[in-house]
Amino acid sequence: MTTTLEAKDFKGEVHPDWCPGCGDFGVLNVLQRALAESGLQQHEVAVISGIGCSSNLPGFINTYGMHTLHGRSLPNAQGFKLAHHDMKVIAVGGDGDGYGIGVGHLIHAMRRNIDMTDIVMNNSIYGLTTGQTSPTSGEGMKTKSTPFGNPELPLNPISMALGSGASFVARAFSGNPKQAVEIYKAAIAHKGFALVDTFSPCVTFNKVNTAQFYRENTYDLAAEGHDASDLQAAFKVATEDTYASGRIATGIFYQNTRPCYEETEKDTLATPICDHELGITADRAEELKARFK
Amino acid sequence: MSGKNVIVRIAGAAGDGIASTGEILGKTCSRMGLNVMAYNSFQSAIRGGHVWLQMAIGAEKQLCHGEEPEVVLLFNKTSPSVHVPDVKSGGIVFYNAATIKKEDIESIRDDVNFYGLDFKSMVDEAGLTGVSPIMINTMLSGAMVQALDLDTSIPLEFIKHKFQKKGDQVVDLNQAIFNLGADWTKNNVNEHVFQPKGDGKAKLFMTGNEAMGLGLAAGGLKLYSAYPMSPATGILHYLATIAQTDKIVIKQVEDELAAMNMVVGAGTAGVRAATATASGGYCLMVEAVGLASMLEVPAVCVVVSRGGPSTGVPTKQEQSDIDLCIAGNGDSPRFVVAPKDPEDAFYQAARALNMAEKYQIPVLILSDFFLSEHFETIDDLDFGKVEIERGKFSTEWEGEGRYKRYEYTEDGVSHRVRPGAKGAQYVPCSDEHNEFGHVMSDVEAGLPHAREERVKMHAKRMKKMETMVSNGDIEAPTLEGDENTETTFMTWGSSYSYAKEAINLLAEEGIKVNHLHFTDVYPMPKEATLAQLKKCKRIVSVENNMCNSLCREVLAQTAFEVTEHINRWDGEPFTGEYIVNEFKKIAAKKELAKV
Repeated sequence: MTTTLEAKDFKGEVHPDWCPGCGDFGVLNVLQRALAESGLQQHEVAVISGIGCSSNLPGFINTYGMHTLHGRSLPNAQGFKLAHHDMKVIAVGGDGDGYGIGVGHLIHAMRRNIDMTDIVMNNSIYGLTTGQTSPTSGEGMKTKSTPFGNPELPLNPISMALGSGASFVARAFSGNPKQAVEIYKAAIAHKGFALVDTFSPCVTFNKVNTAQFYRENTYDLAAEGHDASDLQAAFKVATEDTYASGRIATGIFYQNTRPCYEETEKDTLATPICDHELGITADRAEELKARFK
Repeated sequence: MSGKNVIVRIAGAAGDGIASTGEILGKTCSRMGLNVMAYNSFQSAIRGGHVWLQMAIGAEKQLCHGEEPEVVLLFNKTSPSVHVPDVKSGGIVFYNAATIKKEDIESIRDDVNFYGLDFKSMVDEAGLTGVSPIMINTMLSGAMVQALDLDTSIPLEFIKHKFQKKGDQVVDLNQAIFNLGADWTKNNVNEHVFQPKGDGKAKLFMTGNEAMGLGLAAGGLKLYSAYPMSPATGILHYLATIAQTDKIVIKQVEDELAAMNMVVGAGTAGVRAATATASGGYCLMVEAVGLASMLEVPAVCVVVSRGGPSTGVPTKQEQSDIDLCIAGNGDSPRFVVAPKDPEDAFYQAARALNMAEKYQIPVLILSDFFLSEHFETIDDLDFGKVEIERGKFSTEWEGEGRYKRYEYTEDGVSHRVRPGAKGAQYVPCSDEHNEFGHVMSDVEAGLPHAREERVKMHAKRMKKMETMVSNGDIEAPTLEGDENTETTFMTWGSSYSYAKEAINLLAEEGIKVNHLHFTDVYPMPKEATLAQLKKCKRIVSVENNMCNSLCREVLAQTAFEVTEHINRWDGEPFTGEYIVNEFKKIAAKKELAKV
């Protein structure tokens, strides 16, 4: 019989090496609570990351997982999930990992719709490499690589996700754990690919998008009666309420119930392929060879 | 030479049906128990490029597609000037008289027999309706089958099978056109070429890519992710056809980065996973192959070599990627194996999956354009010989205390518990790590205990390179033929067959050469390899490249230097004759090695 776990049961053996006050502590706590409240056991979960400050998270949580390459959390996580789809797979990483070097994988993962969750800890800065502009850094933002101001527009992860066929698109803020836990639980429960852009402020290198900034500039979509089944409404909010407008939406932007990838390969994935017997039977071998005669 | 044989060639524009004509002919021979080796020469164009296919057919195993064809089918007006000069004196050329003018082709040579088939007048005369000019390929197939005196009932059956979905009328029409070509040849062609007789035991007729895919399936492949790239795509195409029946997840993904990383993710979760790509695509996978080395995750990648650097020569032959397969950042354990022919590709693919799991490493199967795309007959593939060996692996964790994924062991291989097992949670980490998999490279980097851990963990991983050899799992090169010859040809991968053909041709002239062949190219068992090398008096390497990649690797791994080379890097595979000619050039500098 399995017991219901608490957040502390998901605490890893290694203490996080993040800077004191880093938003990633909040994300770790929220994720541990969400896993516990989703009724999951430690061995039923794999948390898979790329490279970056936030990608160290799998080392600090008591589940299975992988700590892979910069930008490659999603292909590793999708391979893992297809191999063992009874497990809950959660990809984690930063905005450089998810929206910069790994953005190609993200777009295709969203349209592919494998049943997993992707948490992007978005701090609009490259922290581990000590403070360069990131894909979500605001226009004009001064960083070590843009001392005269960032000349590029920031990427809008929410409208990109909506345009890429994502079946679940949400945004959380590490400084609002109550809302974040509910969003993470909904993402984990969602049958399909769930993207949760999560503001996770960098206290060391980003003096613009601080915790204070997000507390002052975010609002809860649910409180304003947003209909998460309405794609057009989601696009409207995603494109109108941005950094520039000073009014940033959090919550679930959009969710639909289209079949996840695993449901399109029902025969092959009737049981996890990692449990399948390996090899070809003698009878089947003859059939396979017959095609070449 | 591979016994008495006949060489045939089929040439035309891409889209003329060269491949299907070749397939009908090849399968007809294969079913009759004849041996075939077919080489496709094609350009990277969907339509409009000039393509040809050459086939050696004989009662014995064919090692070479040959040089001078004796029976030739020419489809388009580019064909005569390209191919007629190659035809063996006294050979037979059938051509499409609707696209090739009699005066243009028959003036090229007077020692070759030309037969133009006038498709339109022949079908009109026979009263056939509903025909299309493209069906000339069926007519010319009939001519070829008849000229070789093959059993016409076999191609007629293929035609039936191919067109039966379109109804009896279409089947009847195509069979009638085939018979027109065959009957016309029977009545009008007087010259006889060598007509090989099969033993009646049907063989398998397949490409290296198909054999590789079949070998992966036999070896327990459960997930295959890939990004299309010639000449590796044939593996994806084959596996896609059996994905549902054999319950293999086949994913075409967004790029090669995704393909290899997906394999690593799936391998971590405990399935046998593989990908394949060509040389340039593999460049994008290098980082993820290192990841598999670091995480100690089984992963298999077929690297199909083509001319480089960069995009290079996409649909042509080259063997210049040994260095690429060994390369990556840092020292990283792996195994590189180069199958010599399609039959070998089947067994090596299954072996690669075993080696990957047994040693928890990436395994690279180094193929090449010729091996991957050419068809040949195989007597049989014995699935019974394929055993699944998973090494130190379990789906549950019942050990004492906290599970150490990277526990230090004498052989460098730690017990692998499949994720999902209760109580054994671990996180494989691309950073340097300790026995539990905890990161040692961030805040702890440089501290004395982290330095010690780095030394031990890196040594543990690299220990596997020694263990593979000491366990006897890595084969030394094979030395075939008389040990007392003056000269040895040294080859690897698909050059095996051509060198063997050359050795046979030289033997007919009384020149004895033996054959040292490498299948396992990294690591090499140093002592056993040196012992083989030292048995040879004068070694001449035969490689389909410019810069002698095997020789470089032999030098690096054994300190033995090979200084005489036969190379070819114009994009074509060797032929026996080519090697013989090159050998005579270099041999002329010294005394010919007559024993």
